[in-house]
Amino acid sequence: MNRVLFRQTWRALRVKILIVFVALTAWGTLLPIVYGAFGQTFRDIIESGLIPAQLTQFGGGDIFTLSGSIALGAIHPISLILNSVFAVGFATAAVAGERQRGTLEVMLARPISRRTTYLTLLVATLTFVAAGVLATMLGAIIGSAIAGVLDELAVDRLPLLWLNGFLLFGALAAIGLAASVSFDRLTPALGITAGIVVVMYFLEVLGTFWPDAQFLQPYSLFHYYQPKEVLEGTAPAINFLLPAAVAVVAIAWSLFEFPRRDLAAPA
Amino acid sequence: MVAIVTSGLSKRYGHSGPPIHPPWIHPAPEVRALEDLSIEVRDGEIFGFLGPNGAGKSTTIRLLLGFLHPSAGAASVLNLDIVRQSVEIRRRTGYLPGGIALYDTMSGEDLLDYLGDLTGRPSTRRSVLCDRLEMPAATLRRLVRDYSRGMRQKIGIIQALQHDPELAILDEPTEGLDPLMQRAFYEILDDLRAAGRTIFFSSHVLSEVERVCDRVAIVRRGRLVALEDVEALLARRKRNVEMRIEGTPPAIDGVPGVSGVKIEPDGRITCHLEGDVGPFLAAIRDVRVTDLTIEPAHLEEAFLELYHDEIDDEPEPSVPPPTEAPA
Repeated sequence: MNRVLFRQTWRALRVKILIVFVALTAWGTLLPIVYGAFGQTFRDIIESGLIPAQLTQFGGGDIFTLSGSIALGAIHPISLILNSVFAVGFATAAVAGERQRGTLEVMLARPISRRTTYLTLLVATLTFVAAGVLATMLGAIIGSAIAGVLDELAVDRLPLLWLNGFLLFGALAAIGLAASVSFDRLTPALGITAGIVVVMYFLEVLGTFWPDAQFLQPYSLFHYYQPKEVLEGTAPAINFLLPAAVAVVAIAWSLFEFPRRDLAAPA
Repeated sequence: MVAIVTSGLSKRYGHSGPPIHPPWIHPAPEVRALEDLSIEVRDGEIFGFLGPNGAGKSTTIRLLLGFLHPSAGAASVLNLDIVRQSVEIRRRTGYLPGGIALYDTMSGEDLLDYLGDLTGRPSTRRSVLCDRLEMPAATLRRLVRDYSRGMRQKIGIIQALQHDPELAILDEPTEGLDPLMQRAFYEILDDLRAAGRTIFFSSHVLSEVERVCDRVAIVRRGRLVALEDVEALLARRKRNVEMRIEGTPPAIDGVPGVSGVKIEPDGRITCHLEGDVGPFLAAIRDVRVTDLTIEPAHLEEAFLELYHDEIDDEPEPSVPPPTEAPA
């Protein structure tokens, strides 16, 4: 890893990181407060049978328990978009974007191997992702405290919850970087990565609302991100192992492909 | 000692495609960007690398710096193999890409600091370069996005040379510089030459190459077509001679080196002169010459001659052999 490049990457993105961190913290705060204010009311409505139970679930989250509300916040599109700023946006632009702008050439003219460049950008991306997931956890704690339900929160399981989220978005970031090192232009790298994320998210949500489509859920990485199960201590090991395995494959591909490919003059 | 050696260096893009493929797949045709390039750049010289767009100049530079992998042949830079030791090559080399792109959101100073830190060598030449190129501290504190094209080019030159590299590879270094800054840049090159540094210099500006380079290589369609001392190349060129005389025209038709003699009724004589000027001067010694102009030969004419068939758009011109076999 190259410390100069790592430091500069953080420095260049510090404002964006701060904005995303604050936004994720605020979002993470919101759902426990909603649960504290309206959880019992919603539970009464559901128990009355007015709304089908299937429609009260979204990606493993609900609004009737604290763990469910935290899960709902974590899998909600807003959380996905905010976390994707770095896991998808930065990761895909890290190499392909610089290559398209022509700035990669200036950097690679320095005595840094392509593998070192990639590993530095990977570590930087993973730290951004880690900070984003941490912000959501922080928001959950703050929101639970504000709502007066902190005693319902399994604080000792928060590190595992962080790990689960980190592995999911870390795997997406690794896929994004793999696409980034494989293309000379940002559009295909971003298109492929965003396409993978959207399709996987769709498969997970579809399976949530439509029982006949549940067989599709295991093909989605989002299926292995189950904050409620983690907080209740029922998450299987595969929820951690599978995203980690996907990340390892993507990293291995990048380490193989990036050093061996030709970097022709930017158009 | 040699700074750069290439031996049969070749680069082909794309491929001829698999022998069997579905009908809807049209494999990209193979492009031979560089073919069998063998040159030597000596330590301490300024070496010009010429050719029109698409001739293989950038491909060669990118091969030397490890951005591309050779399809055939081998090369070394500062006695380091371009495939296995490219990181070490880049540690000891300064590179100015053609049409350099910079990080717009950084100030010039931060950018130079950053690139200097990435290089890992002290930026010992930066203050001298900034002085020469008139980039004061106040200008360096501005964001790069506010820089003009010329200022960006100056930053590009400074970043390539600030760590005093043993070898500088400069692709179109005076692009965007005004004439005063071009002159300042030539003085920087003179300094580097005096300090024993080697410059590999790619340019379209032939007068500039003629002015600063010791030797030139000319490539065409990926092949080396000439490799020679600039002085020797120019010495072989025909100079245009025009003179006005009074009295009987001299008999210069058969003088060694003289060709294309035209004598006008008004006493104006034009001809071409190649090589030693002595026999020509001896032949006109007894003539009353009222005016005499001998235009110096320029690299541009040599370049155009090597390319004339391409300029005339002939489909498959023959490739002349190099005028000097690389050692």
